[in-house]
Amino acid sequence: MQNEENLVRRAQQRDEQAFAQLYEEYFDKIYRYVTLRIGDRMEAEDITQQVFLNAIKAISSFKWRGIPFSAWLFRIAHNQVVDYLRRKTKRATAPLDESLVAGDYDPQQMAEKRLDIERLVAATGKLTPAQKEVISLRFAGELSVAQVAKIMGKSEGAVKALQHSAIVALRKSFLVA
Amino acid sequence: MKNSEFENILNECLDRLASGETLEQCLQSYPEQAAQLEPLLQMAQAVIKVSAILPRAEFKARARYEFHSALQAEATKRHQPLFSLRRRWSVALMVVSILLLAGGGTVVAASNSMPDSPLYPVKLAAEQVQLALTPSDIGKARLCAVLADRRVAEIICMADKGDAQRVELLTQRLDERLEMLAELASAEGEDEGEKGAPAVLMAPSAPAEEAPAPAPAEEAPADEGVSAEGKGRAELRGLVMRCADTNPAALRAMLKEAPASAKPALRRAIFISEIGYDRALAALD
Repeated sequence: MQNEENLVRRAQQRDEQAFAQLYEEYFDKIYRYVTLRIGDRMEAEDITQQVFLNAIKAISSFKWRGIPFSAWLFRIAHNQVVDYLRRKTKRATAPLDESLVAGDYDPQQMAEKRLDIERLVAATGKLTPAQKEVISLRFAGELSVAQVAKIMGKSEGAVKALQHSAIVALRKSFLVA
Repeated sequence: MKNSEFENILNECLDRLASGETLEQCLQSYPEQAAQLEPLLQMAQAVIKVSAILPRAEFKARARYEFHSALQAEATKRHQPLFSLRRRWSVALMVVSILLLAGGGTVVAASNSMPDSPLYPVKLAAEQVQLALTPSDIGKARLCAVLADRRVAEIICMADKGDAQRVELLTQRLDERLEMLAELASAEGEDEGEKGAPAVLMAPSAPAEEAPAPAPAEEAPADEGVSAEGKGRAELRGLVMRCADTNPAALRAMLKEAPASAKPALRRAIFISEIGYDRALAALD
């Protein structure tokens, strides 16, 4: 990808191509992050779409002050997820299904993969909100500790500690299951 | 070894795994910590593998299309001034003429009309007159909230009929009303010597609970009293808060029932309502 700062500046001036490049770069990562956070395919799709529509509306407010664009975008995603979880209580969720698992899998592999995702979503559900956020941003969003720290407003040390405790908790959860 | 040292090592190994190194290579670098590291790195590898989910191709295509449509709509909007004084008065004069020619009965009949009704243009024109004749900024802002509320009800009605084109048009009108509401609220706040809130939100988010129908904005009472301006502003904020709570939620509820053809337009309406009410509330703070 071209220099991200340059792309963002162009996107702020309504350069469609620049915005489209940013979109392609982050779309899958945001989708994975949202899916791991909420574990519902239909809602994850809606939320992912909304994240980018909100980004179009708010891009002019983004400023390069040591905060990477990815942190800003994931922050929007985080807000959307939090709002969704707040609303969720009364709503039935769409179960994870085969379509969540894209790629070249035979039915057997697909079933195994689905089971893995379901187990992972269930296991992350037992983490604290901060641990869950770190795991989702680090592993699904593919962000560095420094970027996660910016998004969560924590020090890098705190994020590393959360990462450690989250992996330990996940392991325990999987061993029990 | 301190916890923080181990956390640094773990993090370094995770970064190395992500960049393609093997588990064994990582463990060889830290033989003393290998026993503690190995199960954690295995767990992390499993999480990375499992969370590598790809979005469905049809969803990706639809999302890309809607993203580009939204980009173009935003670019078009920026080239159109939303509310010019000249336009406002010309419309008002035109509607006064309509009132004189058609008589009050038509206007009353039009007041409950929906966008697919022949009387709907009369309803819009009457609203423009009402806006033009409202003297204070706070009064205009309040009227904008009421009109935005009407647009939401109309969007729901049109979405129910699967009329995506009208939903899009109404969404544009909703956006205009909410933007005007925020502008008027900011201007009014500055007049009172208050510090204006930032107009553009850093990370917009959606408001909360689901509700069956839009808030009855017209019912908000008009207060009289000593600090009328302050009271008016507080009342307006209450009204906007109620609408911000219920209207996007009502649109979301409709999204589940609307015909597929109307869903993309309805999603855009939800987005516009969420961000519009957020902005209006920020301006009222």
